[in-house]
Amino acid sequence: MIGYFCKYAPIEALTACGAKTAILAPTAYNFSCAEALMHPNMCSFTKAVLEDFEARPLEGMLFTSCCDSSRRLIDVLRHRYPNRFFYCLDLPRKLCDHSIRLYAAQIREMVSAYEQYSGSTFSCELLSRICDEKSRGINVSSDQCKAFRQGGDAGKRPLFDSERSKHTHPRIIMAGARPDASLIRLIESKGVRIVMNMCCTAAERDFKFSPDPTLFEYARALLLQLPCMRMDDTDRRWQLLSGGIAADGIIYHSVKFCDIYSFEYARLLSETKKRGLTVPILHIETDFATQNGGQLLTRVEAFLESLTPAAHAAFSSSDKEGQNPDPAHPECLQNENQNQSDPVYNHNQLSDGFAGGYVLGIDSGSTSTNAVIMDRFRRIIASCSVPTGAKSAQSAECALCLILKQAGIAREDLSQIVSTGYGRVSIPFSTLNLTEISAHAKGASYVNPNARTILDIGGQDSKAVRFNERGEVMDFVMNNKCAAGTGRFLEMMARTLDMDISMLGPLSLQYNEEIEISSMCSVFAESEVISLIAQNKETADIAHGICRAVAKRSLSLLKQVGIEPDIMVTGGVAKNPGLIKALEAELGCRVLSSENPEITGAIGAALFGLES
Amino acid sequence: MDAVSKYGNLIKKTAVSCPRAALAMIRGGLTLERFRVGAFMDKRMPTAYRYLNIMALNDVRSALRQPETSVWANIFAPVEIIRCFGAHALSIECLSSFLSGFTIEDYGIDYADREGIASTLCSYHRNFIGAVDSGLIPPAACAVTTSTVCDGNTQTFRHLSDRHGVPMYLLDVPESWSAESEDYLVGQLVECISMLEDTFHKRFDMEDLSAVLKTENTSRSCYGRFLDELKYKAFPSTLTMQMYMLFATHLMCGSPEMLKFFKHLEAEIRGTRKFDGKRILWVHLVPYYQETLKSYFNLSDRYQIQAIDLNLDYERPLDPTRPLHSLAKKMILNLYNGSYNRKARRVQELAYHLRCDGVIHFCHWGCRQSSGGVMLLKEKLKEIDVPLLILDGDGIDRRGSHDGQIRTRLEAFFEMLG
Repeated sequence: MIGYFCKYAPIEALTACGAKTAILAPTAYNFSCAEALMHPNMCSFTKAVLEDFEARPLEGMLFTSCCDSSRRLIDVLRHRYPNRFFYCLDLPRKLCDHSIRLYAAQIREMVSAYEQYSGSTFSCELLSRICDEKSRGINVSSDQCKAFRQGGDAGKRPLFDSERSKHTHPRIIMAGARPDASLIRLIESKGVRIVMNMCCTAAERDFKFSPDPTLFEYARALLLQLPCMRMDDTDRRWQLLSGGIAADGIIYHSVKFCDIYSFEYARLLSETKKRGLTVPILHIETDFATQNGGQLLTRVEAFLESLTPAAHAAFSSSDKEGQNPDPAHPECLQNENQNQSDPVYNHNQLSDGFAGGYVLGIDSGSTSTNAVIMDRFRRIIASCSVPTGAKSAQSAECALCLILKQAGIAREDLSQIVSTGYGRVSIPFSTLNLTEISAHAKGASYVNPNARTILDIGGQDSKAVRFNERGEVMDFVMNNKCAAGTGRFLEMMARTLDMDISMLGPLSLQYNEEIEISSMCSVFAESEVISLIAQNKETADIAHGICRAVAKRSLSLLKQVGIEPDIMVTGGVAKNPGLIKALEAELGCRVLSSENPEITGAIGAALFGLES
Repeated sequence: MDAVSKYGNLIKKTAVSCPRAALAMIRGGLTLERFRVGAFMDKRMPTAYRYLNIMALNDVRSALRQPETSVWANIFAPVEIIRCFGAHALSIECLSSFLSGFTIEDYGIDYADREGIASTLCSYHRNFIGAVDSGLIPPAACAVTTSTVCDGNTQTFRHLSDRHGVPMYLLDVPESWSAESEDYLVGQLVECISMLEDTFHKRFDMEDLSAVLKTENTSRSCYGRFLDELKYKAFPSTLTMQMYMLFATHLMCGSPEMLKFFKHLEAEIRGTRKFDGKRILWVHLVPYYQETLKSYFNLSDRYQIQAIDLNLDYERPLDPTRPLHSLAKKMILNLYNGSYNRKARRVQELAYHLRCDGVIHFCHWGCRQSSGGVMLLKEKLKEIDVPLLILDGDGIDRRGSHDGQIRTRLEAFFEMLG
């Protein structure tokens, strides 16, 4: 079996030599081998391929010179497995007769090399037959591309049609770097229809040859595919992305340490801003490792919630799909809008279907589990907070017992239990779940009706969310897997300074000297703090430097989402006065908080329960 | 906080509201630096390097003062052709280094991050993108880049060209040499020349290019003889000066000024004393701002950087009778183009030829093509018993290098060399 991953790889020619080929879509459990043989900062996909190859070596691999990381991967593999078949074709970036001739010549050389390696013989007739069979199985995306190329009306359509409410399933364009199979499964499992796959591995070969095809024709067909971002002329991509396909949103995927597609993403952001379009775009970064499923789920679900803000229950209902009434009640939303200034009570805003009783919102975070009970008039009856500990389900059960006791009601009195946060899917007694991104927006809007942007610094990650007057998410960004700028980072730093986390903020206010914690990585930052301790710097000054470092990182998140006042900080970290001060200094404006910032998500979850 | 950092902070503050004023401050800073180099530079610094420093500063100042006569380029671009149009090649790598010299690299880098550019992209590129997109650096007349070495070369230039309407030509450099691949590249050079003719409204003269290549050949011969002497001689330099050498070997190669510099270099080393310390070959970029490295290498009697491989990436003489073919061959057979094995072999030869006691490879943040091959290089150098030190950090972004780690690794390496 010969592995490959580039869509320009001439696998049909290799098959016509009798080889079996397989596209590689690895997932790694760790990168220990790849990082020892190459370097930790290599593209995660190539590291995963190397790990995969080490675990089950194939007969060989077919490469193209598609990117820096893959070129180094073949160097390493050749060195490590000198007797396997590794072939790298130099993929031209330009499309002209000269470059096609060069690529055809290379395909010929590759065929000879494989014949020599395997003792098999290449059959031009077989290549023609394979290509013919493939040409009859052209997929939907190819048809769309072709229609666009042939000058249909697709190009004249607006970037995104406004008739998405007619479609029961959100329609998404998937673009960017090669996605992990599990990511596609995750997206599709949420009822999303991928109407166009523009990722770099999405092959779209149009093999329409003359009766007696040549390698030149074959090479031309390969190079004529929808260009990947490596190619010189990428206009065709841009035309499709910016006008060709009707969809409700774009999921833009990038791979850690692969930068090529970030340029297209930046262009997309800039153009939509320039043209005043409100195109929903979700940027996801993955690293082909198995450990970030929870964060991905949160991002995808929150994105879908923002596409159809009030219809989230249709896909997030825990077990009774279709039984929940469609919550897109215009009256309900309108009434809620009218009553933003008074979050406490108005009979008219209650939907008819609300039979009485109470709603529990429960936010299962990585550090604490917070719960809020609201009555039908949107009044908070009780709230509590317990540490999450090792088992999120257990701490949720504990929070439930505690809050019922506090509220003086029985479990049967709860007509809805809405879970949110990282552990939301692991709470067996919840009837609905939604992401903490939507929940915090809703909760912040309740606590402070003028708030439009929140910064939620959680234990595990940080998010900046922009929302409308109804608390519906308009845009959000989330930090990547790195802990820098999160609550965990502050905890780590407090431990290094040998103090309780609750002391860090107040102490930082007593600073005298401005100290810069410059490292972007939390591990490096810890080393930097240790160096400062060794230099006998004042603890208050170091604490201030730490708060500033988090504030600066948060500022970057806020800027990415687009700052709209008022700005509010939610989550437990909002209790850190040093961080709030540092953030205000960076932003140059006042930052709101609340008395109990850690229950904002739970409030939002309870409100969703009431609305549903 | 030193004076440079204070001035840098002032530039950053000004840039937010008035990028043009910030640019004027940068130009003013370069003028001051030119004065400082001329009047106050450490007298231990060889005069050839002082001359190089001034020439490089002049080049960048001119490019910033008259952006309409400058061409954005990468260091592998055929600057010889650009020179024939009387234009300045302003390279991403060098301008980013200058901005970092003002301690304002975080301004451009953070700006690019906010635009959605991947934070794992090489910081030279991010810095340049941020500086141009924020309006700090004005658009050049056009851009010429090659696909050599790094994916960013194609992407960064395309981004800037699209965003600012700057005409751009990408030279797609094949990975390996053949008569056909050379012809493919020559065809592109012809198209590139045509773009430059349209931009500068000037006819290209092949005779001018031949003359530039002749000067470049003479310069390279002088450098070769200098390196032969350097095997035994002491020739103090600094990390910054090692990076300035890129002006001599790349951005200004083939110019009369650089010929003068190389002649001076060759003459000056003849009069220096024998070197008894440790000789180091440096691979890839140099974080010239890094305190520990500066303290060990700048004007040192104990540790001497013999050369950076980047300055020796192509050493064959160019054929002035076939200038375009010669330049095509130079790009295809560049040390940084093609398989890593070829590069590892060449570094091995250089380490042996320059009598190096050790090799240091700096893994610059975001540079996959170099970092991905370090283990192969280590094995190659083992064959001739030359130890390799791998340092991780960032060539320009101070936030990306950790002094404690670099110090420990470097000192342990020197202890190992004895």
